[in-house]
Amino acid sequence: MANDIKISIRKLFKIFGPDPDVALEYVRRGMNKADLLEQQNHVLGLRDINVDMRDGEITVIMGLSGSGKSTLIRHLNRLIEPTAGEIRMDGEDVLSYSEEQLRKLRRERMSMVFQKFALLPHKTVLENAGMAKAIRGYTTSDFEADARKWLARVGLEGNENQYPHQLSGGMQQRVGIARALVSDAPIMLMDEAFSALDPLIRSDMQDLLLELQEELHKTIVFITHDLDEALKLADHLVILKDGEVVQQGDPQEILLNPGDPYIVDFISDINRARVLRVRSVMKPGTEAEDNYAGDISERDNLETVLERSGGDTELSFRVVRDGQQVGSLHMKDLTKALVPTAAATESRQRA
Amino acid sequence: MATYDSLFSSLGLEEWCSQGQSDAPMSMSALLAKTKGENTEPESIWDAPFPSMDALNESCAAFPQSRELTKGLEQGFLAIKDSLSLVLDPLTQPLSWFLDGALYAMLNTPWWIVIPLLLAVVYLVTKSWKLMAFVGGSIVLLAFIDHYDYAMQTLAIIFVCAFLCVLLGVPIGIAMARSNTLQRLIIPVLDMLQTLPPFVYLIPLIFLFSVTESKLYGIAIILYAIVPVIRLTNLGIRLVDKDVIEAADAFGMTPRQKLYKVQIPLALPNIMAGVNQTIMMSLAMVVIASLVSAPGLGVLVLRGIRNLELGVGLVSGLGIVILAVILDRVTKASLARINASQKQ
Repeated sequence: MANDIKISIRKLFKIFGPDPDVALEYVRRGMNKADLLEQQNHVLGLRDINVDMRDGEITVIMGLSGSGKSTLIRHLNRLIEPTAGEIRMDGEDVLSYSEEQLRKLRRERMSMVFQKFALLPHKTVLENAGMAKAIRGYTTSDFEADARKWLARVGLEGNENQYPHQLSGGMQQRVGIARALVSDAPIMLMDEAFSALDPLIRSDMQDLLLELQEELHKTIVFITHDLDEALKLADHLVILKDGEVVQQGDPQEILLNPGDPYIVDFISDINRARVLRVRSVMKPGTEAEDNYAGDISERDNLETVLERSGGDTELSFRVVRDGQQVGSLHMKDLTKALVPTAAATESRQRA
Repeated sequence: MATYDSLFSSLGLEEWCSQGQSDAPMSMSALLAKTKGENTEPESIWDAPFPSMDALNESCAAFPQSRELTKGLEQGFLAIKDSLSLVLDPLTQPLSWFLDGALYAMLNTPWWIVIPLLLAVVYLVTKSWKLMAFVGGSIVLLAFIDHYDYAMQTLAIIFVCAFLCVLLGVPIGIAMARSNTLQRLIIPVLDMLQTLPPFVYLIPLIFLFSVTESKLYGIAIILYAIVPVIRLTNLGIRLVDKDVIEAADAFGMTPRQKLYKVQIPLALPNIMAGVNQTIMMSLAMVVIASLVSAPGLGVLVLRGIRNLELGVGLVSGLGIVILAVILDRVTKASLARINASQKQ
């Protein structure tokens, strides 16, 4: 968890309109999005964004449509230029980059996966996978082995010579991911990468991404509007609303202590047992008790534990990490954690 | 006395007007009025003519008549003609060479080489035996009724002109797609080229170049036929999927890489549709251009009209239709092949 900060965003503002600098002054003085649109005819894209993204982690940026999440991710490789603020990558100020430096950044240090796949329709799957390398001037024979390896890794062995339109949506997005992996870039930007896929395939792709991340430890910035997806993937979760960060942090932490009624609303529909993990609700400590019903991993979700307990609320489990005890979990605590936040707040108010 | 006398006198321009005074009647109606000895009394407001140039000239002799406008245009053109052709002549000279070369090559290569060669090209771009058989049959038919030479002349001119249209039109279209200002400037020109009756731009060309030069009709055909390929190249590049362009940017393509590896390949179906239209329009123009000595089937059509030789006109017209069908089918088939390879 103590990884270095790979990408750091500070005081980032983005305003769309003919004269963003003037509008920026109004925003800095506290004008809200609706007033800015009505009185100044400018659209507030992002307001005062401060996010740190750590090396080797998946940072998920979540928000509904219009919350500015796609705008934010496009600032990282400057597909969109900010109105004000600072973006640092490995400590370097990306905004001061010349065109040549920026191109080098996009070619070698970043790759991107798109919602609509954005593959080249006139190139084969193999050529698409090697696109990043081809742009850098390598020939097909240079990157072919690499591209084949990654295509096989994402489950597309044997499809190398097909064209994108011959593949299903899920397979096309696998090509998209392979393309990002072949580029060997340490940072992967994923813009609603799985949103266009149907739910079963989406879940498969999420598993694939987590599996790849286990071995590759890339810095992934993932955009989504789907809370379940966000909670499944995120090491660090940033929730955006109307261009502002509402809350950010460990997703389990956000789930247990939502800081805003908006988020309470948001998380009221999810299956808490599936999302919450043992480490977030356990009692830390190594003191041994005699009547443990068994060992569970700190990474297990509560649903697994419930299944093991068979619904018996009297049991307690030993929580282990790499074979060592790190805490304990009583089924009563587990049940408490499953009470929806809205209901919990109400009962607290009544007391 | 004319209707607008009072206008000029109230403006105090009488003196200026009388400078242009001459006793000779300036227009036919004035002449008629004079010979009839009719007195043009002031008329009621009901009969007041529109204050056009001619009407104003009646009141004020110094005011130019409208025929001075066409005359002025003509004289202006004649005045710059020499310097214009000094620039344009060497610039367009290669066109004459191309056309003459193509015509010479088409006519002096024996038919038993040209026909198989054409069929090979057809098969190469369409990969269809059926179409090749159709083209073969059509050419053999034309040759059998002794229209082979005329048809080949027409084909040679179309090949050269369509090729030059693509060579010039695609870069212009690309430039238009990249700059909105340029698009705003060029679109009215294209509109004008497309709506101007094709006969009209033969006139200044006749002034500029000698009728014996083949570039005269070459330029006329290119001007007329280049429009669709420019328009559709522009459109095609503008219609390239924004997501793919964004991906190209995100992976760090240079503008040149983006153009050659993404934009042109993805715009190719539209560009090819433009090429198809360009070829069809050159065929239309090559017939009209026979008025200014373009050889080919158009000459026969012209003969049919001039001498009222119904049969000659009909047969050569049919020949043109056959050429049109061949060219259209072949370009459409190759277009379909491109489309099939890159549907999304």
